[in-house]
Amino acid sequence: MTATTTIDVVAARRAAEAVPDPELPPVTLGMLGVIHDVIADGGHVHVDLLPTFAGCPATEMMTADVRDAVLAVDGVTGVDVRIRFSPAWTPDRMSPEGHEALRSFGIAAPVDVPAGRRLPVVNDEDTADDRRTCPYCASDRTERQSLFGPTPCRDIRFCQACRQPFEGFKA
Amino acid sequence: MRDARRELLLALADDELVTGHRVSHWTGVAPSLEEDLAFSTIAQDEINHADVWYQVLVGEVDDVRAAVDALGLGRRPDEYRHAVLCEQEPGDFAYSLARHWLYDHADTIRLRSLGGSSDPDIAAVASKLVHEERYHVEHADLWFARLTARTDDARSRLAAAMEVALPQAVWLFEPIDGEDVLIETGVMPELSATLQDRWATQVTQALRDAGIAMDVPAPDFTTPGGRRGVHGPAFTDDVWPEMTGLYRAHPGAVW
Repeated sequence: MTATTTIDVVAARRAAEAVPDPELPPVTLGMLGVIHDVIADGGHVHVDLLPTFAGCPATEMMTADVRDAVLAVDGVTGVDVRIRFSPAWTPDRMSPEGHEALRSFGIAAPVDVPAGRRLPVVNDEDTADDRRTCPYCASDRTERQSLFGPTPCRDIRFCQACRQPFEGFKA
Repeated sequence: MRDARRELLLALADDELVTGHRVSHWTGVAPSLEEDLAFSTIAQDEINHADVWYQVLVGEVDDVRAAVDALGLGRRPDEYRHAVLCEQEPGDFAYSLARHWLYDHADTIRLRSLGGSSDPDIAAVASKLVHEERYHVEHADLWFARLTARTDDARSRLAAAMEVALPQAVWLFEPIDGEDVLIETGVMPELSATLQDRWATQVTQALRDAGIAMDVPAPDFTTPGGRRGVHGPAFTDDVWPEMTGLYRAHPGAVW
């Protein structure tokens, strides 16, 4: 038996994708579509992250968590994690499980992205036009109440149908 | 070319960094809880946007965090390239709102233009940030509409704040050192002067519609301003010592 230098890239990717979002623990980085390239070079693994929000103060924590998770994979001797803005993260990178996990947390994901409109977009529309479905009762009779919420990437919404406040995931 | 690109990135990053520090003044003391949350979030956004621009500037290095901290906190005051608008004291709420409105409209115009940069990193980041800055512009516009539509007192206080902030804000468009090279290579798709005209048209129109007649002054850019490291005591004796104090006391500290 000799030590192997072959890394299971699929396992490395799975480990990176299983890392929970530091601010939304039910949601993993894989569900959000934040994990981009995972490339092995000998025992070394490069991971590229696409942050959903550039103004996110948790990116450093995500970087460290991903590094630790991938380092724990058999055969990995080193990891470097880079933040990338190109290609840009877009809402369509989120998995159905990601939408559901956010919804269960009372957060409405940007589901109603009109066809053909991909982030980043340069538009003149108000963010208020970015309507969300209530995560509790699925009504569309919702309004945005505050541009700013508990974290930089979330705003505050209200559902007229079930009279519940909820949060919108900025995108 | 490399020097000119550095000057551009420092202008973008330093504007955001210093704005973030001044905006954070309202944390805990804003007139309402909602505004406290708004300004605190904007401060966080701007400081993180500065961080992203510094990352673009440092590129592929072993210790990105150390390199970014060295840029953000390890320079002498005259090595910062932000416009002097950003370093001014918060003043009253009217001045803070006037500055917020003028700055975020200017920043949006600049980011939209840079979305077409020939530099792929600059184009990608500008396109991402313009989307996040929408929230800031919308917040500033809501206050602009609220203050100009209500009482004469609110409008006149905003107008008085604009009288002070507008001549400072136009210096956001002081040309970047080496701008001719940036234009030639397409790193900047448009001249600062072109962006300034676009912004001036937009803000004077909005002010006129709100019953505030004001012209944007034409500054003498042959006199060096913030983009060439000339800052006032509001930065050199106030923001800079406070912002960099911990870093200077404990060089290389990790937290």
